[in-house]
Amino acid sequence: MKVRFWGVRGSIAVPGRDTVEFGGNTSCLELRFGGKNRLIIIDAGTGIRPLGDHLVQNDLPKGPIKTEIFITHTHWDHIIGFPFFQPIYIKSTKLKVYGPITFEEDTIENIMGDLLRYRYFPVLHGELTAGIDYFQLGECEMDLGDGINLKTKYLNHPLLCLGYRFEFKGKVLCTAFDTEPFRNVFSTDPNAPDYDPVASEKGEEAVREENQKLLDFFHGADILIHDCQYTQKEYFASKIGWGHSYFEHAINSALEAGVKKIVLFHHDPPRTDQELFALEKRYHECMANQSALEIVVAREGMEILL
Amino acid sequence: MESNKRLEILQSYIRKLPSFPVTVNKVMEICYDANTSPADLSKVISLDPVLSGKVLQLVNSAYFGFAHEIVSPVRAIIMLGMNTVKNLALGLAVMSTLGNRKNFQALEMDGFWKHSLGVGVVSKLIAKKRNVDPKKLEGYFIAGLLHDIGKIPLNGRFSDEYRLAMEISDRDHQPLSISERQILGIDHTLAGSLIAKNWKLGTEIIDTIAFHHSPETYDGEQKDILFTIILANHFAKRSGIGFSGNPSMEKIGPQVFQHFSGGQETTFDFLHDLSDEVAQEIEKAQIFLKVAQ
Repeated sequence: MKVRFWGVRGSIAVPGRDTVEFGGNTSCLELRFGGKNRLIIIDAGTGIRPLGDHLVQNDLPKGPIKTEIFITHTHWDHIIGFPFFQPIYIKSTKLKVYGPITFEEDTIENIMGDLLRYRYFPVLHGELTAGIDYFQLGECEMDLGDGINLKTKYLNHPLLCLGYRFEFKGKVLCTAFDTEPFRNVFSTDPNAPDYDPVASEKGEEAVREENQKLLDFFHGADILIHDCQYTQKEYFASKIGWGHSYFEHAINSALEAGVKKIVLFHHDPPRTDQELFALEKRYHECMANQSALEIVVAREGMEILL
Repeated sequence: MESNKRLEILQSYIRKLPSFPVTVNKVMEICYDANTSPADLSKVISLDPVLSGKVLQLVNSAYFGFAHEIVSPVRAIIMLGMNTVKNLALGLAVMSTLGNRKNFQALEMDGFWKHSLGVGVVSKLIAKKRNVDPKKLEGYFIAGLLHDIGKIPLNGRFSDEYRLAMEISDRDHQPLSISERQILGIDHTLAGSLIAKNWKLGTEIIDTIAFHHSPETYDGEQKDILFTIILANHFAKRSGIGFSGNPSMEKIGPQVFQHFSGGQETTFDFLHDLSDEVAQEIEKAQIFLKVAQ
């Protein structure tokens, strides 16, 4: 199994001199499996545009492009590149798009289709020549064929958002973006006016169990690609409830779940290369000789072989 | 059938309606208070076993597709967030009281609820923009949501006549309340006010339901809420938010514009500026319709 990072940024694309090293494109991963070089894509952020160009140049000459895109959720930074994914304009392309429902009634097909409307884009979804099928996902387990097994799990984000766990020939790659730790929203302070001991206790239990379920989902992964939009300081200062994690939480989760390598992903748009280098150095130093966990800060263009 | 006879049937129907549950009032109250704590929300849901059962049933439905069952409102709030659970609870509470699909014979149910919801949302937005006391905003929403409630028993009990009344309105471009009176001898403002009185909903809601097609005859205390609902109703119809069987665009009387101390044009401009917010609010509230399926 091989993974290549085409977009590692969160929220919005940030091109410019401050993001040359780590990259400015939003979420998109290319996964390749086995001798067949089977292609699976996770998310269609702006990173899917260069991936599409790459596929047209390198894969298309060998035969029609056949792939699956697994959308983690439908926030813009995870779908906005779709209209610029060249293979959708090629008749021979066969594409399956999977993704979670939203809290509204919209299907994944409607949401992706809405990106291609005249008010936003000069081509309509109905005019696309590729064969595209859409599938709704909840929490499930799927046999994708070729020995690839997929498990999905809802994460903690303001919109229903799926984590994906791919298992192939004993190797495991797990994604957890966008997510933040479950927290007890019920007051635990007996002096607070809205304190309710039963709700408070049940809330604590629910949080404990739900966070544990996430760790179980990550358990033993060779690679965990985890949201790390904020630092701990930023998170507790003003970002609680925004649906994103902080570096320390992501690393601790990986440690607790017995993960081998954590890739810190979904960088905050204002985060410059210099800041990311400094953060990477800080966490490498903190964790040096502490455990076998390998910590990597995601960079656009980076490739990891499992 | 004589209209007196129909009124008798209607009154007996209304007497048999389930009472407007205290839970619905409470859910509405906490859902429309931005400062509601998660504990308040969970308490209100938990106190009504039927409601909490339904909320959990929906949370655990295939719609969300959770692999593990969510067994308490507390967990639902932690996992899905306050806003989603608020919307589910409110939608369920209102829908379970105010009629299910079998009550919709002539009227189309989704269109009716969407219109009602739209008028509720717009009324509340208008009131908010006019700096109405925040404690009263929820009343504007409820009055808007319920303004056409009288149509439910009329079309449910006298569906053939109601279909005819709707056809006449459509053909003659005549307000539906007039066609209702021609065909049934009773209109939805009368039927609705009878329900609201039966449920002891308070004068602001009773008066709004009773006078929203005849504001010129109203000299009670609830002008502000009544006129707001009339404006919101007009706006919802003009913007095509749902459909509750009345195709005719009724003129808004001068007393309404005077009340808002603006001419027709400034009032409409004001409404136009709300369009985006209204669309957003309605989108958020769509879960109501989901719940009603």
